[in-house]
Amino acid sequence: MKKVLALFLVSILFLAACSSGSSKDTSGETKDSNEITVWAWDPNFNIKAMNLAKDAYKSDNPDLEIKIIENAQDDIIQKLNTSLSSGTTKGLPNIVLIEDYRAQSFLQAYPDMFHELTGTFNSDDFAQYKIAPTSVDGKNYGLPFDTGVSGLYVRTDYLEQAGYTVEDLQNMDWKKYIEIGKKVKEATGKHMLTQDPNDLGLIRMMIQSAGSWYLKDDGKTPNLAGNEALKVAFETYKEILDADLVKPISDWSQFLAGFNSGDVATVPTGNWITPSIKAEASQAGKWAVVAHPRLPGVPESVNASNLGGSSWYVLNVPGKEDAADFLAKTFGSNVEFYQTINKEIGAIGTFKPAADGEAYQAGDDFFGGQKIIADFAAWTEQIPQINYGLHTYAIEDILAVEAQNYIKGKDLDKALEDAQKQAEAQVK
Amino acid sequence: MITVKTKQNIQPMHSTRSLRMKNTAIGWSFIAIATVLICLFYFYPMVQALIMSMQSGTGTNLTFVGLDNYARLLQDPTFLTTVKNTVIYLIIQVPIMIILALFISVLLNDKTLKLKGVFRTAIFLPCVTSLVAYSVIFKYLFGQDGIINIFLLKLSIISEPIQWLTDPFWAKVAIIVAITWRWTGYNMIFYLSALQNIDHSIYEAAKMDGASPFQIFFKITIPLLKPIILFTSITSTIGTLQLFDEVMNITQGGPGNATITISQYIYNLSFKYTPDFGYAATVSYAIVIMIVIFSIFQFKVAGDKNA
Amino acid sequence: MLKRVFSYAFLTIAAIISFFPFLWMIISSTNKSVDVTKGRLLPGSYFLENLSNLLETVDLVPALMNSAKISITTTILSLLIASLAGYGFEIYQSKAKDMVFNFLLLSMMIPFAALMVPLFRMFGSISQTAPFIGIDTFAAVILPTVTTAFLIFFFRQSTKMFPKDILEAGRIDGLTEIGCFFRIYVPTMKTTYSAAAIITFMASWNSYLWPLVVLQSPENQTIPLLISVLGSSYSPDFGVIMTAIVIATLPAAFIFFIMQKQFVAGMMGSVK
Repeated sequence: MKKVLALFLVSILFLAACSSGSSKDTSGETKDSNEITVWAWDPNFNIKAMNLAKDAYKSDNPDLEIKIIENAQDDIIQKLNTSLSSGTTKGLPNIVLIEDYRAQSFLQAYPDMFHELTGTFNSDDFAQYKIAPTSVDGKNYGLPFDTGVSGLYVRTDYLEQAGYTVEDLQNMDWKKYIEIGKKVKEATGKHMLTQDPNDLGLIRMMIQSAGSWYLKDDGKTPNLAGNEALKVAFETYKEILDADLVKPISDWSQFLAGFNSGDVATVPTGNWITPSIKAEASQAGKWAVVAHPRLPGVPESVNASNLGGSSWYVLNVPGKEDAADFLAKTFGSNVEFYQTINKEIGAIGTFKPAADGEAYQAGDDFFGGQKIIADFAAWTEQIPQINYGLHTYAIEDILAVEAQNYIKGKDLDKALEDAQKQAEAQVK
Repeated sequence: MITVKTKQNIQPMHSTRSLRMKNTAIGWSFIAIATVLICLFYFYPMVQALIMSMQSGTGTNLTFVGLDNYARLLQDPTFLTTVKNTVIYLIIQVPIMIILALFISVLLNDKTLKLKGVFRTAIFLPCVTSLVAYSVIFKYLFGQDGIINIFLLKLSIISEPIQWLTDPFWAKVAIIVAITWRWTGYNMIFYLSALQNIDHSIYEAAKMDGASPFQIFFKITIPLLKPIILFTSITSTIGTLQLFDEVMNITQGGPGNATITISQYIYNLSFKYTPDFGYAATVSYAIVIMIVIFSIFQFKVAGDKNA
Repeated sequence: MLKRVFSYAFLTIAAIISFFPFLWMIISSTNKSVDVTKGRLLPGSYFLENLSNLLETVDLVPALMNSAKISITTTILSLLIASLAGYGFEIYQSKAKDMVFNFLLLSMMIPFAALMVPLFRMFGSISQTAPFIGIDTFAAVILPTVTTAFLIFFFRQSTKMFPKDILEAGRIDGLTEIGCFFRIYVPTMKTTYSAAAIITFMASWNSYLWPLVVLQSPENQTIPLLISVLGSSYSPDFGVIMTAIVIATLPAAFIFFIMQKQFVAGMMGSVK
């Protein structure tokens, strides 16, 4: 038995050696010193913007050490939820990026864990549609960052072959889109767009263009049965499928491949896709962006919508004042900083005073010289403001099932009613 | 609880009372470390999860609701779908995989077979392949214009591409193929290691007596491997009932919940939706109950004497 | 002879099907991202470029070292603890121990996701008193995974096939009980240990969810976490990701290749 004990002790020692080796530079409560940490995803966009903010802040406040840690978005969600729900603040960052669709979930599920930012920035300076998702009871918790303003990216060469110009697509509705799509398919054999049946992003964009959402304004009551915009959106979705305009895909890489390999003529999505579109350099000059189509027959629907977008939040852990100050002086008020991130990474913020700067007026040769940033900024102003509420993804999973049923022939009103019933049971 | 009927106790033949006491003490000390650690890192959190399963609410706003969550479970159409899907995977996939793994191991256990190392390594490779690669690769293989469709079209087995991942039926088939592909080599390892522990002279003797390969397989190999067959079928059952990685990475449960599993629903309730850890814990305990039932069944089927 | 042909044919097909995705992964690591997303099947010339991009964007070597430390420690400890227990349950079988055994099996049945929050809370409070095994340490990654009922179960089932009479011979030769375990059982069960080592190392090497929540600092990142970070972008570089994956997979494949040499038919005969 002694031998076993000895072996066990040796192993424990080995363990201790391992852990001491790694924990020396992380040893616990360093938060009181002048260091803050930030969690964000996407190195080409959010992380770069944060790095530029760090540089901008550093010149005036050299004492604050800002550590930026890159994590995948799903990983951030898991880490935050596990830490916050177990009540353990150790290891949490000071600043975290959260997608707007999920913000209310976090703010309301962990009410004491977020630091209020009201008064550290002027909320009137930001696109109004970003304020509702980032606040609770009129108090601001998030500092709005990027816009998910959507547009319709189109292949001008394919359109030409079908006899259309970019002008024909400006401010159109989805009916016209389908009509054009059929012609394009005829002339070029190309599908109009890719769709993943698990991802109802297209539906979300359609209904937000009409100022409607899966939930009522209170952010809690499901708004599916009798939601006119949603109904038209589903009808349109099915029409697009029936017209055989869709190339089915099942993940992100196939989505990227769809347009990079020239298989589709349009990409209706958020402006953050621009770098991925430009990744295929051989397609330079063949693309343009037009305003997002509106819903046919829905008077509230405008030619502007949104997909995704996220904002910065400060957690209620030591260092929160420093973190709030850092955000306020960069993302919260610095016009020059917004010009920089726009020039360097093409990021479009939702800070309105920045839109007048010269960087926003530059043309992009990849898009035939179109001033796409200025166009997106103009569309951002028109995005209808809605409260995404608590349960966007829970309801979307329910809707995805009913969407399949509807496509296979179930009556639409019945499908939406069933979804409503399920949603009410789920989110009570 | 599961009961394993036991062989007669193994005790030293001329044991005095004190020796027996000593042996009992030694016996317990062999299992002590493991038991303590499992209690600490599994049972303690399991008890907490059980308490959590009687609470409901978002994030940290939990209230005690007693058995409400369990009642909700039985009326939750998504949960019922996940159970249905998971049981389909279990019933179809586990037997196929176990038989395939057993068959391959027996072929590989042939002393005179050449290139054994190459075959073994190739067949084992799928389960070391990283999940990220695995998901990208599988989505390509099963894509609408993926390799599998191209292959089937070339051979004129099908006339139109199969919507592997976006059709409810074919998506299930794709998941079953994916699990089998990934875990057959894994189960093979257990059989291979067990086959080494069988005394080769038994086979020699059987051959001398003129037994056919089939007779040897069914009359000698299978009975001798019974403990490991039981082990792999129980662990595969557990693995399938907790299936998450494949579905999460290949279909995300879609199209429209056609492939969603119980574990993925737990993940969604905890992380994808507004977190409801109480209800997620309830769903977890539903898995525990199902596994216990299946395991008791398997121990019973495996029979008494030599299991 | 027909049987022989069938064996080779069957195994060759199984091996090709098994190996193909692995091959595809290697090919992808030599292509640029756009070609990977298009599913290109021919080797390209971008491997070195992918590799240098990879080394530029992430700290690959420290992550490999972290993963190695965690996996090797976990494997050694797991094998020791689980084989002692499996042996104990089978050789010193008693009603009471069988009850304990069945009870331990229960721990396999709960999905890990359900234990994560309580476990995290536990390590959070340990951090207050003993930061060296608290959150953000390797010990916190290793401790909860080092003892699995799965492995105990495997050792116990394998011990059922172990010829117990040779223990008796050992005892007569004057070996202590623990001596019997180390001198007789361990050498005889080499292939069982090999199988267990392969499985444990691989599980630990690829483990994702628990290291993800428990390891906070970038310095402590393991390989699977690093690969996940590579995919955090809206426009990920799949060539670089594939290169990282190939590098990440090689150690586990290598361990297997070394260990599988233990699987030589008729092992037991030579021990007797």
